[in-house]
Amino acid sequence: MNSEGEVTSLLTAWGKGDPNALNELMPLVYNELHRMAQRAWRGIDQGNTLQPTALINEAYLKLAGAENATYQNRCHFFAVACTAMRQILVNHARSRHTGKRGSGQLAVSLDDVQVAVHQEAAEVVALHEALERLQAIDERKSKVVEMRYFGGLSIEETAEALGVSVITVNRDWRLARTWLLREMNGGPS
Amino acid sequence: MNSQAEWEEIERLFHQAIDLPPNDRQELLASASAPIRAEVESLLRADEDAFFTAPPVHLAADLLDREPSALNPGQRIGTYEIDSLISVGGMGEVYLARDPSRTPVALKILRRHLIASPQAVDRFHTEARAASALHHPNIVKICDSGESPAGLFIAMEWVEGRTLRQLIDQGAADLSRATDWSAQAARALAVAHAAGILHRDIKPDNVILREDGVLKILDFGLARLEGPVRLEPDSIGASGTISGTLSGTLLYMSPEIFRGEIATSASDVFSLGALVYELWAGRHPFAGETPLDVYEAIECRVIAAPSTLRAGIPPEIDALILRMLDRDPTHRPSARECCEVFSRFSVRT
Repeated sequence: MNSEGEVTSLLTAWGKGDPNALNELMPLVYNELHRMAQRAWRGIDQGNTLQPTALINEAYLKLAGAENATYQNRCHFFAVACTAMRQILVNHARSRHTGKRGSGQLAVSLDDVQVAVHQEAAEVVALHEALERLQAIDERKSKVVEMRYFGGLSIEETAEALGVSVITVNRDWRLARTWLLREMNGGPS
Repeated sequence: MNSQAEWEEIERLFHQAIDLPPNDRQELLASASAPIRAEVESLLRADEDAFFTAPPVHLAADLLDREPSALNPGQRIGTYEIDSLISVGGMGEVYLARDPSRTPVALKILRRHLIASPQAVDRFHTEARAASALHHPNIVKICDSGESPAGLFIAMEWVEGRTLRQLIDQGAADLSRATDWSAQAARALAVAHAAGILHRDIKPDNVILREDGVLKILDFGLARLEGPVRLEPDSIGASGTISGTLSGTLLYMSPEIFRGEIATSASDVFSLGALVYELWAGRHPFAGETPLDVYEAIECRVIAAPSTLRAGIPPEIDALILRMLDRDPTHRPSARECCEVFSRFSVRT
């Protein structure tokens, strides 16, 4: 089976409640997105950074194929792709993080940029960990943050992918942000 | 952790309270149980901080944006195999890599899009080839250079140690160390100048001291690849700080380079003069609050003799350092002369 057919049937199977379909789907989506992200973010010639959401759209067309695009499949794909994108970004952030700890004795001309990147990497990892705690309390809210923050989806796109109203996503987003912010600043006070 | 019902009540109260003025919030929350009330109040306090207000993908996309190559362990660049990422700089990344005989090398990748023109790529190869001809214990050896899908690369001798920047930041070096380090740095410069190669960006970040006391200068001839260094209005932030690479470089820049003239070996001597002044006197000769202060200091400040800042500095060294910092390039000593004077006082040589 070609990848288009494979991804489409996995999406359909997952939509029907087959949990194994997700396990097969995730690596396919992760690898494709990772490859695309590396390519997209290596170029950056004219300073216009391709947003994660654009990559996810492109990956969908490539993996599932435009002609097979049912509304349901598209929503399921976006949910998987945002999780994959989160993993990609967190893995990158973590590698940067450990790079810092490991290189204390190694000195090859550095500059200020590095410090800022470490700072941001630490924040991405902290957010990811706080998000795992939120998921245990309220899975949908963690999904909203994953889609908005890591996937770059708009409020409307998030609502569509999750099959809930825009008002609900707005409310979830507001509370989830607040909750995460407090978690990252040291938990309930 | 809260039960599902508690969480739902927390959520409901949070959304009701968030749009109310503080006094009305009290009233609303008065009916809730103490733990729920505490949780909602804690969340309401957190909401007052501005966070995540920036476009949500900004931080994340930015992170990868600055790690565009993101080479993975095991990946091959030319004949080299990537081991791990060491640092990220304005022009690219530096990786620990292995050559075919498994010897560690530092692999510097220059992002292609940051290299201005085809001429700049040619210049890169010319400079790297010229620098690779330098064989000296005090110069980090360039082993190889080439092009790969990830960008231009330079393979360099792998050196473990600390930069002079790190050592200076830890406090003043004692005078015998200052003598030894100055002599080794001047020797590296003298050897390069004799071979017709300028450094163009001597600064403490480009000097590494190995654990065994051997000093090595990094990136000979490569500074020019970063293009002309000028004080652009854009590079000076509102706070008067300078962005990126310029901040490290500015303090060690000779007046003639500031004026946009061609670098000569005397320009390298000036930069080394600023560096050794800092080593000996424990203070930078041109320190200033803003780039303009620094600029003015380099152009106009009367430099205090190092001996007025620290006891025990021999008069010959004192005079030599001031001559290295002479505003007229033709009055500066050669790197060879500097090396001879410093070596006379050094116990190592």
